[in-house]
Amino acid sequence: MNNKQSHGGTTRRQFVRLLAAAGLGTALAACGDSGTPASQEASTGRREAPTPSAGTAYLSVARGPEPKAITQAALAALGGIERFVKQGDEVIVKPNICVDYRTYEYGATTNPDVVAALVELCLGAGAKRVRVMDLPFGGGAESAYARSGIADAVAAAGGQMEIMNRAKFRETDIPQGQDISSWPVYQDVLTADVLINVPVAKHHNLARLSLGAKNLLGVILKPSQIHANLPQRIADLSSLIRPTLTVVDAVRTLMAHGPTGGNLDDVVLANTVIASHDLVAADAYAATLFDLSGEQVPYIKAGAEMGLGTLDLAAIRIEQVPVG
Amino acid sequence: MSRAANRGLSISGRTWRRIRQGVQVVALLVFVAVFIYTNAQRPERFWADLFSRLDPLLMLTASVAGRVLVSGIALAGITVVLTLLFGRVWCGWLCPLGTLLEWFSPRRPRGKGPAESWRAAKYLVLFAILLAALLGNLTLLVLDPITILNRTLATTVWPALRYAVVQAEAFLYQFQFLWGPLDAVHTTIVQPLFQEVQPVFGLAFLMALLFGGLVALNWWAERFWCRYLCPLGGLLGLLSKLSLVRRQVDDACAQCGRCSHQCPTGTINPRDSFRSDPAECIVCFDCITDCSREGIGFRWQVPAWKPAAWRSYDPSRRQTLVTLGATVAGVALAGVEPVSQRQPATLIRPPGADPHDFSALCVRCAACVRICPTQGLQPSLFEGGIQNTLTPRLVPRLGYCSFSCNACGQVCPTGAIPPLGLEEKQLVPIGLASIDQDRCLPWAHNIPCIVCEEACPVADKAIQLEEVEARNALGETVLLQRPRVIKELCIGCGICEYQCPMGGESAVRVYAPTEAGGFLGSVSGG
Repeated sequence: MNNKQSHGGTTRRQFVRLLAAAGLGTALAACGDSGTPASQEASTGRREAPTPSAGTAYLSVARGPEPKAITQAALAALGGIERFVKQGDEVIVKPNICVDYRTYEYGATTNPDVVAALVELCLGAGAKRVRVMDLPFGGGAESAYARSGIADAVAAAGGQMEIMNRAKFRETDIPQGQDISSWPVYQDVLTADVLINVPVAKHHNLARLSLGAKNLLGVILKPSQIHANLPQRIADLSSLIRPTLTVVDAVRTLMAHGPTGGNLDDVVLANTVIASHDLVAADAYAATLFDLSGEQVPYIKAGAEMGLGTLDLAAIRIEQVPVG
Repeated sequence: MSRAANRGLSISGRTWRRIRQGVQVVALLVFVAVFIYTNAQRPERFWADLFSRLDPLLMLTASVAGRVLVSGIALAGITVVLTLLFGRVWCGWLCPLGTLLEWFSPRRPRGKGPAESWRAAKYLVLFAILLAALLGNLTLLVLDPITILNRTLATTVWPALRYAVVQAEAFLYQFQFLWGPLDAVHTTIVQPLFQEVQPVFGLAFLMALLFGGLVALNWWAERFWCRYLCPLGGLLGLLSKLSLVRRQVDDACAQCGRCSHQCPTGTINPRDSFRSDPAECIVCFDCITDCSREGIGFRWQVPAWKPAAWRSYDPSRRQTLVTLGATVAGVALAGVEPVSQRQPATLIRPPGADPHDFSALCVRCAACVRICPTQGLQPSLFEGGIQNTLTPRLVPRLGYCSFSCNACGQVCPTGAIPPLGLEEKQLVPIGLASIDQDRCLPWAHNIPCIVCEEACPVADKAIQLEEVEARNALGETVLLQRPRVIKELCIGCGICEYQCPMGGESAVRVYAPTEAGGFLGSVSGG
């Protein structure tokens, strides 16, 4: 008679349940495609790469048996890491950790000592935080980081490995893009104060060589769809991502069966590190280690034609630094 | 000895129930913790296989069907000994599925359940499984409780939970000012817990429905699964007919009938002076908890021990013979399925698995499915016939066999997937890639693409490129590199199929390995 529920309709408990179910459903439906919401302009927090002052090199080439030492020497010749990294900076270091197949000796992934040297230099210059990341296409990031030796080296140097978070890729406008006008890009790479691009120099069948600009395919989604018009699309991406500094690891260069390697016979001990704020110039110089010119590597040439840097190695000040 | 037991059991019933519930929680937590902890970075065999090895049904049948002594089988002995001592304590104290079914049951049981004769079903399922195993077939192990729970967690609960969490995260990531705390939560909790890849399973809904159905049966009768269907319960029930400690009703019994209302398996019979069948009793102690007179005890039977009586609902000779006959017919029918003649093109087995003997060792526990870091390993439906239902197969378009991973072989509890070392595994062809020249970009459309070759993990590249000049759709002359598969090098890992940028079906697909052999692994010296 005096039933509490006899006043008809829905009880609160039922209503809340219904609401929760509907809310959950709607929320799930609403974020179904939130991986890449409407494209947005790049909110770059990054400082422009400073051009060298008089007396410092435009591009440096250090040679020697110690990867850490030649990395430090290459940076010193550019006027020191302080030219690029300021007190309190957020720094991202982007090595090439494309697969988890093999250790760094096979020349498919960046030398861990080169990466560690850069992490130490940045922290020494007062960087607030140095994160290291890549998006492997073969194997998972965690296992690739570990196998490459980079995870241990970075941890010892005081940096942090970051496994890229799918939620932080955003469809981003590429204002200068000639073939692609937008692409999903990892936002932290655009907003960091400093981005240091650390490719390993290696063979690649379609691109001819995998160097600095090619390395930027590791901070975007859908990299395999870049391949349809690879040279221009790499250049378009470079125009957006604009690393502060490019340090090419040519300690162990993979001359064939790239980009993944697997034969030590294909690896040449070149013991070289090349550094410059100019991505195109760094790549063009690195190409010479493979007896190619920048002109002959289509994406380097495309980058130069977009005005992203210079191919003319004769016109810039290059400092050769032998170490040890 | 019996004094000690009596003293032990004189702890109040309420305390006993607490202890039992505590053990249940711990066992279930261990099961779930092991499930979450075990991944391709941590393929720790002991933990990953713990519950499979404690399961005598899995260990016994895999050893019988596979004609090998499965390693770690001794752990199942613990369960057998416990059962011979105390009865079905596995069911009432340890089984994680039993615990979940106990939790997900109506507050007050509504249904009266089916006729008592249904209790025979679990024994008949058990007999069918045992005879089929003797004949080399393990198909019905899909009904083992450990495999049911692990498979359901792996293909439905955990992936769906990950999806919900990651979608919620993605929603919050729309607000830039939240990125700081979100990053902290993501890197410390979400990423380590859920890893990098969102698992997808074609059977997710089906598995969820089956599990939901299993739980729903609780509304017909409490612990319906454990009472009537569970083949492991059947095996342990038969052993319990011999157990040394059994429930006894004493003279103090006031015939109040509370215990028979409480009993979750309904085995306390008011018409038999509230006695029970040790084969049906799961030693939950609910009856002593509610006993008004301390008229019930679990006591040693040693001096006057004899096997418990065969009940009217226990399987008759006729039922048993029909079941065994049906089993023989079923196994014979399995032999008529095409898979017994030839490996289906798309039934790619995990690395090192012998395609012929695989189904005689695979217990369908989904440990490999759970650990596969790319989630390329999927439970089959009928791709390998009815007999291979829920055995793993690689679906490269969803996930490839990762070159640097051998985790599935490390955690397989029976060796159906052998525990190969990494270098050994990298030289085992599990399939052979094939390029569809009518769809491949450089072949069919004169558009440059080398994604398959780029990703190929084989040192000498099992996909090689031929340079040609051709005219593209715009009439321009372009230099193309057209991929070809080198049979002698291809290990069938399927990363080419996975990475191919064609929409829908890949333009390079992996099929079962060639029957012609001739795999070299390397063409350069080493």
